[in-house]
Amino acid sequence: MQKSKFLPRGRKDRTVVLVDIRETKSAKAADLFLQVRPGKDFEMLTILRAMIKGEHVTDDQVAETGLTTDVLQDLIERMKKAKFGVMFFGMGLSMTRGKHMNAAALLTLAAEMNAFTKFVAMPMRGHGNVTGADVIMRWQTGYPFGISFNRGYPRYNPGEFSTVDILVRGDTDCAFIIGADPGATMPRPAIEHLAKVPTIVLDPHVTHTSRLSRVHITTAPAGIAAPGTGYRMDEVPMPLRPALNSPYPSDEEVIRRIKEAIAEKPDWMTDQPQMIFSQV
Amino acid sequence: MPSIRLLLNPMRTAKQGVNVNIGKDSDEYKEITTTLTIHQEDMSSLGVEDGDSVLVRTEFGEAKFVCKTAKVPQGLAFVPYGPPTCELMDGGTDGTGMPTSKGWEVEIIPISELS
Repeated sequence: MQKSKFLPRGRKDRTVVLVDIRETKSAKAADLFLQVRPGKDFEMLTILRAMIKGEHVTDDQVAETGLTTDVLQDLIERMKKAKFGVMFFGMGLSMTRGKHMNAAALLTLAAEMNAFTKFVAMPMRGHGNVTGADVIMRWQTGYPFGISFNRGYPRYNPGEFSTVDILVRGDTDCAFIIGADPGATMPRPAIEHLAKVPTIVLDPHVTHTSRLSRVHITTAPAGIAAPGTGYRMDEVPMPLRPALNSPYPSDEEVIRRIKEAIAEKPDWMTDQPQMIFSQV
Repeated sequence: MPSIRLLLNPMRTAKQGVNVNIGKDSDEYKEITTTLTIHQEDMSSLGVEDGDSVLVRTEFGEAKFVCKTAKVPQGLAFVPYGPPTCELMDGGTDGTGMPTSKGWEVEIIPISELS
């Protein structure tokens, strides 16, 4: 691990604390493992927020999280003494009961820790370039996901414009899937809707989604046989040159050609799409 | 029927991530995403052994998995995300855009009890 001016001993100058509902392989790499009770993340984060401010918290309240007051007090001491702390969080917070409230509690804790030292929070991403999708949508529209363009300008509302909700409600009569496999990852009601409507898939592999789609277009794998930019989890962009040749076009080329073909078709909307809605 | 209720936690593993890129039709990917790991005591309560098949049932759907003992807390079951876990999830997101896919109670029934 990198040695620096302020952390000359590398890993020995750093502390890794793992919080999970079970002991994973990551526990071996951590200095401290805290086993929190399932579904008690929000409570633990809220208790930590109270304790860093010196608010009174009872042992019983702490015990509900599966931890002890001493353990949390030790954690707080370590956090306050840190020169630069980072909290990595993942689906354990966002896909369990509480969802965005769990993430909000963690982000608030990170913000409040800045009264003592520098602290940030960063989501752990799953696949290839999820961070890239968020970053691009953010600088293009101001929002990371769950965006609707149907009024001619971007609007953001998770729960309304997010993919799962749109599919489950059956709002769409067509789906265009690029570099994703919702047929193998989303809840069954969402998958059933994809099978009902004309679904077009762009993917290097034949996926579960391809099998329920009307059209599958094989494309070159990005970053391997097609150039592009991959974003690291910490949002650092990395230009990628293709290492292999592919007989297939890139996602970008297919989309460009579809766009050109659509441009040749007569426009079915007025010049001002907003007018449609002002008449409703 | 000896069924038990456990807290199901679909999750990601490094092996599963590698196999997503190799291809989801591979036997290894199918094996990874259909292997349910639970505590020894829960295996005994269920009356199953390593390699036995079980049916996991939620109020939204059901799917078949193969049981394996692992060092996990009692009362919890773990399985890597994949097509079988999609069958168990509800489409509701509570207005967040994110379906609940972790930490919910499921019924586990040995397949041998169903026939």
